[in-house]
Formats: sequence, C-alpha cells, structure tokens
Amino acid sequence: MQFKLKLLAGITLLFCFVNAAYAQSLRLTGKVTQKSDGQGIPGASIVVKGASSGTMTDVNGNYTLNLPPAGGVLVVSYIGMETVERTVTGAGVQNFVLSDDLKVLNEVVVVGYGTQKVTNISGAISVIKSADIKKLNAVRTEEALQGQVSGVTVIQPGSPGAKPSVLVRGIPSFSGNDPTVVVDGSIQTLDDLNSINPSDIESINVLKDAATTAIYGLKGGNGVIVVTTKAGSRNQKTEFSFNSNFGLQDVSRRIGVLNAAEYGAIVNEGSVAAGGNIIFPDLSILGKGTDWQKEIFHTAPLQSQNISARGGSEKMTYFLSAGYLSQGGIVGGYDKSHFNRGTFTANLTFDFTSKLKFILNTTGVLLDNKGVQENSFNSIIGSALNFDPTVPVYNNDKSVVSKYGYSDLLLSEIFNPLTKLDNTYNTNTGSKIYGKFELQYQVIKGLKLNSRFGYTKYDDKSKTFTPLIFWGPQNVENGLDAAGNPVTGRHNNVAQTKNSNFNYTWENFGNYNFSVAQDHHFETVLGFSMAKTTGNSMNVGRQDVPFNSWEFADYSAATGTNSADNPNAQTGGYYQYFRRNLSYFGRVNYDYKDRYLASFSARRDGSYAFGVNNKFGNFYAGSLGWVVTGEEFFKPAFIDYLKVRGSYGVTGNENTTPQYVKIATGGPDYGPTANSNGYNFGNIFYPGSTVASSRNDNLAWEKQKQLNVGFDLTLLKNKVSISADYYQKKVDGLLFTPSVSLYLGTAQVPTANIGSTKSSGVDITVTYREKVGEFSINNMFNVTTMKNKVTETNTDGTARILGGSYFNGQSQTVTVFEKGYTPAYFYGYKTNGLFQNAAEIAAAPKQPGAQPGDIRYVDTNGDGVINDNDRVKIGDPFPSVTLGWNLSMSYKGFDFSALTYASIGNDIYRAYERNANFSNKYRAVLGRWTGEGSTNDARNPRYIFTDPNSNIRVSDRYVEDGSFVKIKNLQLGYTFPKSMLKNVFKSMRVYAQVKNAFVFTKYSGYDPEISGNGNLLENGVDRGAYPQARIYALGIDFNL
Amino acid sequence: MVVVMTLLGSCKKFVDYNPHEDFVVTDQDYLKSEDDYRTMVISAYTPLQWLNQVTVIGDIASDNSVAGGESASDVVPLQQIDDFTLTAVNSTLEDLWKVSYEGVNRANYLFQYKDKNPAGQAVNFNGKDALYGEVYFLRAYYYFTLVKMWGDVPFFVDKRLNLTDSRSLQRSPKAQVYAQIEQDLNAAIAALPTVQAQKGRITKYAAQGLLGKVYLYEGKFTQASTVLEPIITANAFTLVNDYASIYLAAGENGPESVFEIQYTNGSPYYNWGGATRGQGNYSVQQNGIRGISGSAAMPFAAGWSTNLPTQNLASAYSAGDQRKDITAFDIEAYKNAHPEYAITYKVAPYKNTGLYNGKYLPRKGESSGQIELNYLNNFRIMRYSEVLLMAAEALNRGGGDDGKALGYLNQVRRRAFKDTNHDVTASGTALKQAIWDERRLELAMDGDRFFDLVRTGQAAAKLAGFQAGKHELFPIPQQEVTISGLTQNAGY
Repeated sequence: MQFKLKLLAGITLLFCFVNAAYAQSLRLTGKVTQKSDGQGIPGASIVVKGASSGTMTDVNGNYTLNLPPAGGVLVVSYIGMETVERTVTGAGVQNFVLSDDLKVLNEVVVVGYGTQKVTNISGAISVIKSADIKKLNAVRTEEALQGQVSGVTVIQPGSPGAKPSVLVRGIPSFSGNDPTVVVDGSIQTLDDLNSINPSDIESINVLKDAATTAIYGLKGGNGVIVVTTKAGSRNQKTEFSFNSNFGLQDVSRRIGVLNAAEYGAIVNEGSVAAGGNIIFPDLSILGKGTDWQKEIFHTAPLQSQNISARGGSEKMTYFLSAGYLSQGGIVGGYDKSHFNRGTFTANLTFDFTSKLKFILNTTGVLLDNKGVQENSFNSIIGSALNFDPTVPVYNNDKSVVSKYGYSDLLLSEIFNPLTKLDNTYNTNTGSKIYGKFELQYQVIKGLKLNSRFGYTKYDDKSKTFTPLIFWGPQNVENGLDAAGNPVTGRHNNVAQTKNSNFNYTWENFGNYNFSVAQDHHFETVLGFSMAKTTGNSMNVGRQDVPFNSWEFADYSAATGTNSADNPNAQTGGYYQYFRRNLSYFGRVNYDYKDRYLASFSARRDGSYAFGVNNKFGNFYAGSLGWVVTGEEFFKPAFIDYLKVRGSYGVTGNENTTPQYVKIATGGPDYGPTANSNGYNFGNIFYPGSTVASSRNDNLAWEKQKQLNVGFDLTLLKNKVSISADYYQKKVDGLLFTPSVSLYLGTAQVPTANIGSTKSSGVDITVTYREKVGEFSINNMFNVTTMKNKVTETNTDGTARILGGSYFNGQSQTVTVFEKGYTPAYFYGYKTNGLFQNAAEIAAAPKQPGAQPGDIRYVDTNGDGVINDNDRVKIGDPFPSVTLGWNLSMSYKGFDFSALTYASIGNDIYRAYERNANFSNKYRAVLGRWTGEGSTNDARNPRYIFTDPNSNIRVSDRYVEDGSFVKIKNLQLGYTFPKSMLKNVFKSMRVYAQVKNAFVFTKYSGYDPEISGNGNLLENGVDRGAYPQARIYALGIDFNL
Repeated sequence: MVVVMTLLGSCKKFVDYNPHEDFVVTDQDYLKSEDDYRTMVISAYTPLQWLNQVTVIGDIASDNSVAGGESASDVVPLQQIDDFTLTAVNSTLEDLWKVSYEGVNRANYLFQYKDKNPAGQAVNFNGKDALYGEVYFLRAYYYFTLVKMWGDVPFFVDKRLNLTDSRSLQRSPKAQVYAQIEQDLNAAIAALPTVQAQKGRITKYAAQGLLGKVYLYEGKFTQASTVLEPIITANAFTLVNDYASIYLAAGENGPESVFEIQYTNGSPYYNWGGATRGQGNYSVQQNGIRGISGSAAMPFAAGWSTNLPTQNLASAYSAGDQRKDITAFDIEAYKNAHPEYAITYKVAPYKNTGLYNGKYLPRKGESSGQIELNYLNNFRIMRYSEVLLMAAEALNRGGGDDGKALGYLNQVRRRAFKDTNHDVTASGTALKQAIWDERRLELAMDGDRFFDLVRTGQAAAKLAGFQAGKHELFPIPQQEVTISGLTQNAGY
C-alpha cells in the first residue's frame, strides 16, 4: 500500500514538471508512415538536428513536437528504414513517409554477443516486439510467447506468478528443458522471468537452432530467450509514458461433482454393495447441500501500473521505469493468495569519450507472494472437490467451537476446504536486483571490445504458520478439541526460511567487422566468459506460537523448546550451493553481397560439475543461407524476398552436479532413495554414517545435434510473409540415472551419460497485412509441431523414471520417461468396457477380483493374466501441434485485437479424486453400471466401497482429450485524436480487455492447460490444478 | 587477444572442483578414528528398521491376519501377498530386497576397511572386535532375511558393491549363504558381550538365539539345541508375567527381550516418499483402528485398519489364555468394556474381522513429527519365550530329551494361562505339533507365522490359495530379474 502511495506521488510530481516543460512555441504535428503500405510507424524518432529536443511517434505513427521559434532541421528515423531530413521553419502539419525498402534489409536482431542484420541470418530465430507483449498485460513474460511465436510451446499454470512449462522445439532432455534466458546480455534463468516487467521489454528473440544457440554452448541446448529491454536514444526529448490497467478475475468453469442427495445415494449404494450398512437412511433431507467449489472461488483483482521516462542527450541516454503489478488468486481470494511485484529500472548509457562507452542497466524488484495448498486431493481445490457435500457451510452445532461445518464421515485426510483456507497463513517476500555493467571500446573502425558483468542478486524470506485446528468432533487429526483447547501433544508451528542467491557472468569479447574486396563482409566475435552461481538458505521452525495466532507467528514470539519427548519444538537448517563455468567462444558471419550467407560458431565450455576426465567440451555450429531474390535471374513479380537457409550444430546441457563418494552422517534422509542413517538404543537416537553416493569421473554433457532447414518469403508487396523451418534434434549422452542391480543397495546412483532422444518438428509463421482506406488488418498465424521420442535410456531400457504421482487410496504414478516412448507419457492399463456377467469374466483373461460391473482390462501382452505387465501407453500430456492466431484491426482511432491459441493432441489425466468411501465423487458416477446391459462404458463401472477389481488403478478410464482452443486475449481500444488531447498529451489510448475469454475443449475440468511448472513429469496430471482465471480489464495508456 | 587467451590458461582452475568446497566428507576423509568406526556401525543397524514390512508380511501371508486397508485397491502389494495372487512386480517386496542388500553392503563396507581404512591406515582401538561382533550379526540377519524370503540369492562378502559391480552377480545356492550366516553368527558369538550398556545393542544371546533359529530353518536340530540351551542355562532372561505389558512402551527391551528392532519417536521424520526409512515404526500406523476417537484418556490413535487378525487366529486361543486379547484385539469388546472412553471408530472398510493387532496399535503420544511415520514401538523380534520354544523343538526333533522339551514348552504355557492346568503332556510327533501350535499363539502378529509354516511344511495345509512348490518363496523382484538377469523362482 505504501508503495502504491509513493507511485501516485511520483506521478503527480511528474505532471507538474511536464506542464512546465511544454510552454513553448512553433508547434508541429504530423504522421510518419511507411511507404509500402501507408501505415503509421510507431516509435519512429523525430529529432531536431543539433539540438537536444526530439520526440517519438505514438502507436499510430503520430507525433507532436515543439520547435524553437527559428525552426530547424528535422531528422526522422526508424530502425531499418531510410532516414529523412527536412528543414522546417513554420508551425503546422509535417508528414513524413519513410522508405521501407531498407526495412527488411537493415533491421537487426540481437544474437549472442552481437547483433546481426535480419536478412543475413541463416539460423532460426523467432521475434516478438514490445507492442505484442504490451497488449497482453502479461504477469509473466512467458505468457507473451504463447501463441505468438512459432517453435515455442508454453503450458501456463493458473496460480498467480507461477512458472509455466516452456519448451523451445520439443523435449530433448530429461534433466531440464528450460531455455536459457539472456536479459540485455546477462544470463539468467526462466525462474527469473517472474521479476521482469513485461512493459520494459523492447523485444524478445527466441534463438532456436544450433547456429544461433551454439555460441551459448552448454547453456544453449534448450534454446535461448533473448530479452532486450528498452533504452533511450541520443538527443531525444524526454518522453513519459503511463500505463494503467485494472481487472477482475474469476473462474470460468466448474467441475461436476455430486450434490448432497446424489452423494448420499451413491455412498449408500457403495456401502451396501460391500456388505455394509445404509449410511444415509433418509436421502430426502439431504437436498442439494453445499457446493464447496462455489465457496472457495472468489473474484480477485488484477492490476498493473507502469510509468517510464526515456530520452537522451548527446553524451548519454536513459530509460527509467517503475511498475507495480498485483494479481490476486481466485482460489481463496486476494487475502489468501496473490502475487505482487514492484519493479524499478534504470538503463543508462554514457559516452565517456567518442570511443569509450559505458552501459549501466539496473533493475530492482520487490516481490510479495501468498499461496494456498495446490495440486493434490487435499489442496484447497482438491478438498472442495472431495469434501462431504452434506456438511453445511457454517457450523450449526453449538457444542463445538468451529466457524465452518464438519463431517462425521471424513475423519482424516480430506477436510472442510473453508476451515483449511481460513487456517492457511503464509507469506513470501523477496527482493532482487539484476543488471549489468558494460564497457565498450571502439579500438578502430569495425573493432570493438566489450567487457560485460551481468549479475542477479536475489534474497527472499518466507514464513508459514500451521495453526492448531479443530476439524470436527470425531476427526482424528484435530489440533484443538471441541472446546477450542489444544489436544495434548499437538503444537502449532511457525517455519521461516531465508534464501540468498548471487549469480554473475563476466564476459569479455571483441567484435571485428570488416570487408574484403568490398563485397565480402565479415562479422566476427571472439571472447571468453566466467560464470558463477552461489546461494544459501537458512530455515528455522518453532512450535507454540502464542494464542495460536498468525499475528504472533514468528520465531521470536513462539515459545517451544526442545525436550526428550519433543525434539521438534525448535528446529533449524542450512545449506549452500554454487556452480562455476568457464567458456571460450567465437563466431564468424560472412556474406557475399548480402546474397550468399554463411556463419560458423564455436564454444569451448568447462563446467565444475563434470568428471575429471571430461571437464571441457566443444560445441560447433555452422549455417548457410542464400537470398534467392538477390539473384538477377530470380525476379518474379509477386515475390519480394526469398531466402533459403540451413544449419547444423551441437549444443549442450549441464543439468547435473558434481559426483563424489560421500560419507553421510546423521539421521533420516530425504533424498530419492531415502538412504537414512542412525539408530536408537533405548529410544535415544544416535547418528550413524554410511556411503551415500558414488562418483563417475567420465560424467560429461548432453550433446544435442540439431539440423535446421527453412526459408523466409515475402510476397505481394510485403503483404504476406512466410517463415518456415523444419528441425531435427538428437541428443546423445543424455544425463540420466542408470538402472543398477538392486543388490547394490540404496546409496544414490549418480547420473551418467547413458540415453538419447530425438525430436523433430516444424515451425511456421505466416503474416498477412491488408489496408483498405483507413481500415487495416494484420494477421499473424503460427504453427508449431513437435514429435519427441526417447530413443535410449540405457542399453536394456530398464532405466526409467516414474512421475506424476498422486494418491487415490493408494500412491499411484502415471507418467514415465523411458526408452521407446514419448517423454513423460501416461502409463497404465487399457480398458475394454465392463464385464456384464459372470460368463464374460470366466471367458476373459484372469483378472483377480473382477465381478460383473467391473472394468475389463486389456491383456496387452496376451499371457492370459491381467497384471502390471499389461500396462501400456494410455496418453501423452504434450500437444503434437500448437497454433496461434494474432489478429489486429484498426479503423480510425479504434483498434481491435484477438489472440487465439490452440493446443492439439495433449491428453489430461484426471487425478483429483481421492476416491475414499466418503469423499465426494465425480459426477460421471451417476451413469455407473447398475446391472447387465446398463452401460458398457469403462469410465462408469459399478460403485462399491471395497472395489475388489481395483477399478481405480491407473488406466485410460481417467484419460481425457485435453485439446483446446482458447481465446487468450480480446482487446478493443480507442486512441484519442490529437485534437482532443490539447497540448498536454502526446497520445492517449483507452481499452477494454478480456483474457482467457473462451475455452473450447472436451476436457471436463477447469482448465485443459495443466502445467508442470517446469517439471517434465508433472504436465497434464490434473490433481485439481489451479485454473487460469478469466480476466476482465480496463486500461489506459498515455504519453507526455 | 593472444595475450589474453594465454592468460586464460590459469583460469582453468575455475572449473576444478573439490567436494570440500561443499563441505562434503568423502570416503578418503573417513574411518580415521574409533569414533568414525563406531558411528558407521550404527548405520549398519539402520536397515533393520526398514525391514518393517517383513514383520507385517509374516502374518498377512499366513492364516494369522488379512491385509485389510481402505479397499481392495489399498496396499495392493500386501493384498496380493494375502491372497497369493502376487507377481514379481510387488513394490513392497522390491523394497525389502533392496533394503536387505543395503544392510549387507553396509556391513561389507565395514569388513572391507576393517584392517585398513580407505586411505590405507590401520585404526585400532579397544573393543573393536566386540564392535565387529555386532556387524557380523547384522550381516547374518540381512542374509537370513534374504534366504528365508527368496531362497537362492546373490551373495558377496568381501566388499560394498560399486557401480561397476552392477549386473555382475547371479544367485548363489542358499546352502552357501547359510554357511556364511553360520560363520558370521559364530564369529559374533565369539566376540560379543552378554550384556550391552545400551539397550537394543546386539548381545551374545541375540546371536545365539538367531543362530539357533537359523539351524532350525536348516534342520540342524542338534546344533540348534547346542547353541540355544546356553541361553536358557545362563538365566539371563525371565518371562514377563503380564504378557500384554511386554508390548507397551514401558515393556520395551524388558527382561524377556532377546532381540528387538528399535524404533523411536525421538528423531521425527516427514518423508512420505520413504515411509519406512525413519526412526519410527510405520506398521503401527497401518495397524491402527480407523477413525478412532474418544475422551482424552482413551489411549489409542487412529490408523489404517491394515494387518487385521483373523477369527481363525482368535479362535486358536483357549479360554483363559492371556495372549488372546492383546494379539487379536477386539475393538467392539473393548469399547463396551470402556464406556468412559466414549469411543467412536469406523468399521474396517475392507476384509473387516473386527480384530486388530493389539501388540502394535498406535497410541496417543507415542509418535512425533509426521504422526503416521514415527511410532516408537519396537518390534519384539525374539523373546525368551521363543528361545524356549526353539530349544524345545530342537530337542524334540533332534532326538534329544522330550521331557526337557516339554518343560520348556510348559514354561511358556504357564505364563500364558497363569496356571499349570493348561500344561501339555505329549511327546514325539504330538509334542512337535504342540510346540508348533504354541509358536503360533505365542508369536502371532510378531511376523513369524508364514515363515514358520513354510519351514515346518504346514503351509499348504493351513493356507488357502497356497501352492506348494511355488509360494514357499517370494518372487525375485521383476526389476532385478530384468536388470541383473537373475533366474526367477519357480512358478512366478
């Protein structure tokens, strides 16, 4: 709140300043347009030659500028276009038309350690510009990649601020598929994208093929997302920009579960079928009961406010911005779950001398998070789906102290979601500062030396309070008794954690560009870098918080002290980690007359993590391109530009840590093999020691070989452009945990380079622009396909990793990464209808426990018995094709845009049902088998408590087609004409927006996007995943 | 640029790595003092605790108890063992196999570096031999678990296996493994003291008792009585009058205790991913009565109604046998006997027998941390009463003194009935059967029954669904068969 006040004060101050600055003379207005299509050019620079004044055009290409009374020479420029100069002596309208012949030719994109002309690129890069990022009002930057660039698959979670799964060109690896993020040259991770203000971003380039990523070596294997933030320009008058956006979020769908009367009937049936009693003798009194979903979902606010100033003098440029974003959670509302972010950015450049330039980029970020339990049957959503619907919302039993109702049937594991929500207390606040210091020295023309120090410092602290709770008189997990007094031996607890991280990359490189014999152009880079990541974490916990209250929930106020009976009253822990890398890199780009293109890059990387025999690895890539339209013989009238290109190269992945033979001393172990130590004698615990791990001196990187072929084509006077790529990736030496003989015991087995994967796909982007009078339309379609296969894990294929675990009465896992299949596919039994009678069971392969009405499983291996060996692939959580369609239209001051995203071929595994006798049930149970011939749908077997056939085992019964089409963003805006803005505003636009407006899917849950938050094996498993909210928002943008 | 690149040569150190930077103690740093050795021996005990489910299986696989649980889909690995529908894919059995071998490897590592540590130095100290006596016992215990469950098993004694040893071993005949078990236990007997300062440490008597049991499994009855009788004549143990009290927290490591696997709530654990790998006894939570609650004085805590004693077991007890109520705990009877507790509970939803494993029921205040995982109840693996019964059987079957055997048997019965009216008078085969039957009554729910039935050849007759020639042994975990190419046990 305090922060918001400060922001407001800042805005008010700026207004005063701006008003003063604009009381001048010789007022010019006009529009800068593009020659080819007549469209306005947003962001074009208009500078008065020799003076420090200037401006930029607004989104429609309009500008307003005040000239000194004597007039001057206006210089109008836009990157990649011809610069126009014109002498102006009087006030009035001055329009400029820039020739865009040069646009395609001279536009540059940021690549690793340099920039390159778009036309000279022979690798595969996807680009998204600030305007398309801005329109989304995204919380996290990744959102802007979904549906707007080809070659990138984004699976978004709904939880405020949570990290999505981002895949650049398939799933090549097991150990990690997050692309590397480079912000203004500084290397960061995907996790860091939670702290970048999307409105500070000028452009995002996704480097996709080996030719563009190999210069990042072992960090390049999963693609590289290059984020370029805004900067000022020389001799540009200060331009202030304000954006404000307010929205409301709600949940657009509900999951069908039973109402109270239906629940009572089904529970009765299940009990009686199992030989038990009628549980609800009188169903007529139950009525509809409580809809717990209705109770937990709230309308939550979303807002973002940004203010920025950019400009520059002859010797320096600046971009300053402040942003505030606040997203409330729809589960439990803002008070219980939210993500708030404040960002402050200063991007400055200084010319010390004509040759020496200093760049200082600094961003400070404040983060504030609260969350609710997610993603399990006993999460808040899971509880709402599974809790007893016969329980009233509010307690009406005066003999117990409880605000909300309780169940006498569910006595553990599943609780009243409101009681749970009420007792959810946590907070996480973080501060981050990141940026770079960079010196650039122009030695001679064409030769520039750079030294860049990029860093990220992140600290956060979090606190979770677990109060004592009364759940119900018969509940076995009560911390308080019915009178509200603590149960003997139960304690409340406050846990506090403090993390501190510091990463830096120090890069030194030289760029030398030269030409030989005029037409042979070379651009070269050579350099080295050192990178280090460090971090540590401390945690403490203490019981007995005074008054069982969040207000007093702090280690310093809690009173617990350890005793022989209770060693948990005061706890603490600490760990630290680091990583180090050393790299040498170089690249040569060559072109002959901009027509024949070639590029070669190499990187030698050393990592602290690898075995002594393999400390360094080399990565190479090369690419070739041919601008066909550059040839005299190829000049068809309808083709403006055609380039064909191809690349091949090797990149890597170092997602592993050093290996050693560790002797662990202590007690219980929390590692994957739970290789615990210690023992007790007479109830006194003594720590013990044992061998905990082994080493592998040959450990090396995953080597990813990627082939890319593609073309760029522009047709029909630049109205249509097509860019298409086909890629093939093959990973060798996949870092994977081998399967070893079980008689080796439980010491942790180190990762080894044992596997391989293959991915391939097509990325296509098609844009189509049309303009009729004042009406213009812009379409961008993109298609991303991916095909993945794990070709090897170890020689006999026994090395496999299970994931996607959930609990429905027993612990289940549903996803597997193993040889011969797509990564993280769903693994379980195939069903084939229901057994209708005893004769069918007798005739079928032996299936222990089966009775009429039970699911008939398929004997896939034909051995006459249904058992674990019959489990096969039953689904795949990843889409085979994703499509994006970005439509924008404008007419006079009105603009409309719509972003549609489609995901095809992704399956969802429904895993939110606890399936306890008295838990609520998915509505389909109403269509259950009730007698011979009633149904043969394997999704609806008979209902019986004891479930002797184990109808709840992992099977395709729970797999649903998760394909969807989402209207991600609808926006209607209006830009006020200059005449209405007087002299105060340079531009003003208001808009209304609906995000996640419509979802078309067959999936029965909230949201068919089930994100693994970056964990490969978690995608597509719906344990009651936090749905993305539908957002209705209003916003205003104006420039001064 | 060339100069810069040359300078960079020295940067290479930047990517060198020493585990000490991460404060990691490696094998080269360790076993340098008496303390290191003693600490490492403690962790050789640890896998004993992880064998938790062996005890559960010992009854569920037999006529003593059923798997129970929430439904047929709950604890599937145990249901399949209960119903003899088990296959080589059984997560519980796979875990037990791995755990037993972790025990073997931990013991082997200590033998590997007994004389010289990994750095090549000799570390000698007073009591080292006695300390190694414990390690001998532990290795024997782990191998005995392996052979009694799986028969022929991969066998190695010289070292802890490392990654290069993966897939290198085949199954060795169980006779060879038994020979090593005998050798290890004899070495343990020679080195161990009869009394240990710390309760729960392995004693000479524990080693003798285990060796006696191993001999019975091998049919070496004379050797069995030779090693068991000294325990009795040592007069080191007495039978506790109140049978039920043996199983209370206060009864742990009591005057009747020969060997117990120690559990405690004093080192709380939270890892659901390795539920049996803490210091607590996981099976206690499994045994608990569902949804039980009542007044503050009501002693029990809720659990998951698994491992439910059968009516068959309950009816095996004669009237007046004090062991019945605790072994086959009747909750309804208890509830009615204690109206002051105002007990409510949920009837076991699957395979309900109305009976619970009273020896190991969750009790309020006996756990900590993640309540389900940290119950303090020790497993009473071998009590003096079993030594008496084993000695009796060894004498009876080894052609020894049936009168003496009868005397041992009746010691156990007199404690059970608190009188002499229930003494057995039999000899020969009838006595043998009486001893076997008594074993069931005395040791039920302590995890012995199934292995006893197999050992004595009674399994096929007593257990519905048991196929002779197949179910005497559990299947080798499929994963091990696939990875290591081991042969499977017959019938699986």
